[in-house]
Amino acid sequence: MPSVSVYIPTPYRSLTGGRANVVVDAHTVDEVLTKLIELFPELQERIFNPQGDIHEHLNVFVNEEEIRSLQGKSTPLKEGDQVAIIPAMAGGSNLTPEQVERYSRHILLPEVGGKGQEKLLNSKVLIVGAGGLGSPAALYLAAAGVGTLGLVDFDRVDLSNLQRQILHHGHDVGRLKVDSAREALFDINPEVKVVTYPFALSAANALEVIQPYDLVINGCDNFSTRYLLSDACVLLQKPLVDGSIFRFEGQVTVFLPGQGCYRCLYPAPPPPGSVPSCAEAGVLGVLPGLIGVIQATEALKILLDLGSSLAGKLLFVDALTMTFRQFRIARNPSCPACGDNPEIKELRDYGEEYCLGRPGAGEEGARNLPEAFSQASM
Amino acid sequence: MKLRRELVEEMIAHAQNNLPNEACGILAGTGGEILAFYPATNAEHSPTRYTIDPQELFRIFREVESKGWEIMGIFHSHPVTEAYPSPTDVRLAFYPEALYFILSLRDPLQPVLRAFWIVDGDVREEPLKIL
Repeated sequence: MPSVSVYIPTPYRSLTGGRANVVVDAHTVDEVLTKLIELFPELQERIFNPQGDIHEHLNVFVNEEEIRSLQGKSTPLKEGDQVAIIPAMAGGSNLTPEQVERYSRHILLPEVGGKGQEKLLNSKVLIVGAGGLGSPAALYLAAAGVGTLGLVDFDRVDLSNLQRQILHHGHDVGRLKVDSAREALFDINPEVKVVTYPFALSAANALEVIQPYDLVINGCDNFSTRYLLSDACVLLQKPLVDGSIFRFEGQVTVFLPGQGCYRCLYPAPPPPGSVPSCAEAGVLGVLPGLIGVIQATEALKILLDLGSSLAGKLLFVDALTMTFRQFRIARNPSCPACGDNPEIKELRDYGEEYCLGRPGAGEEGARNLPEAFSQASM
Repeated sequence: MKLRRELVEEMIAHAQNNLPNEACGILAGTGGEILAFYPATNAEHSPTRYTIDPQELFRIFREVESKGWEIMGIFHSHPVTEAYPSPTDVRLAFYPEALYFILSLRDPLQPVLRAFWIVDGDVREEPLKIL
């Protein structure tokens, strides 16, 4: 087995009896860290977070390269390699005078204040879909000063999108949605960092894309992504703010870690062809605005730990009668994703059986409520 | 803690060169004496946040160790706020044995340098004596 030398940074040397270098035998970085912890158990919580991942503030180098640019924890090692563990040197100042002015209406709220605003500036939200729901959500979250916004969308702007997807403008037709979105968000708040993912979310990339974020907003337009996203958020323990729309109706709910998931609500997708997409059935253009803004509101509340969220509740909006009804929903202990004995331990791509209608201009639709929910009206 | 004037001037110049963004760097020395300032790249390129570029951090660590010195201080600037650790600075202070130097450029004509120990969320100022 290759013998490698591990460099211990000064802050951890009190846990290694003052040793700056430790030699261990290991094939991978993961093995190195495991052996190191066997030797010095107190290093466990310095190196790994409760989820078992290397702390984000730690840089692990193999020779000259940081392992994030190699193969992460599975980076292979050879005889004589040098591994170094180095905590980040990082920080940030308080709000600038311009920020105090920009966010003054937030700061005036005792529930938010300067502290809450700083929290928002340090928050990261991933928005899946830069369409009808993602547009208003992204615009308001950027305006609110959420420091990092991730946008996932492989699609390009189509003329038929402009009826509701307010991130995009006439001159954007044909452009990647994430590019025109980035521009619109920069115009509203240039200090927000926008990270774009111009591809479809899949089983292969979802965990990696979602991992750095504090919260996920679902504004996708198909059932396969909806189930994939829900499963991924369960696996990564990320809060998910789910929204969907269909014609004149919309639904919003929040799935907090350990409190249920989309599969508890809808164990299986509807039969193919039974629910038309918005591209087929149409949608009132303003409806995604209404639903997307509710999603953004829930996101801010969760980030700021304010009020009570829609966790455990499903909000059903009927624009024709302008009724807002809430239904109680509960975690299903036998849920295959988040139940007591989950069967879903890794992601897979859901193919045809989850795909309905054509993807594209629309959102796949708020589904009819299962009978059980109608009985539990709040 | 004593600090030579030319090191302070190097820090001020580095901070001014990085405006409007925060600047950062490392102070190293031996025997309780700070001997050098290593300016570094702020990987965040942000007016309100800094992270010392990890590759540079590693390079500086090696250079310092090869001289038989140790890391004694971590430097960053506050372009428009006071020279005091922000909640973010405290939360991200992973080096309890290093002195955190903060340079405020709030008054462009009168930069203010202060230094703090940040241990388990507690901030304690270390008086500086500029020689």
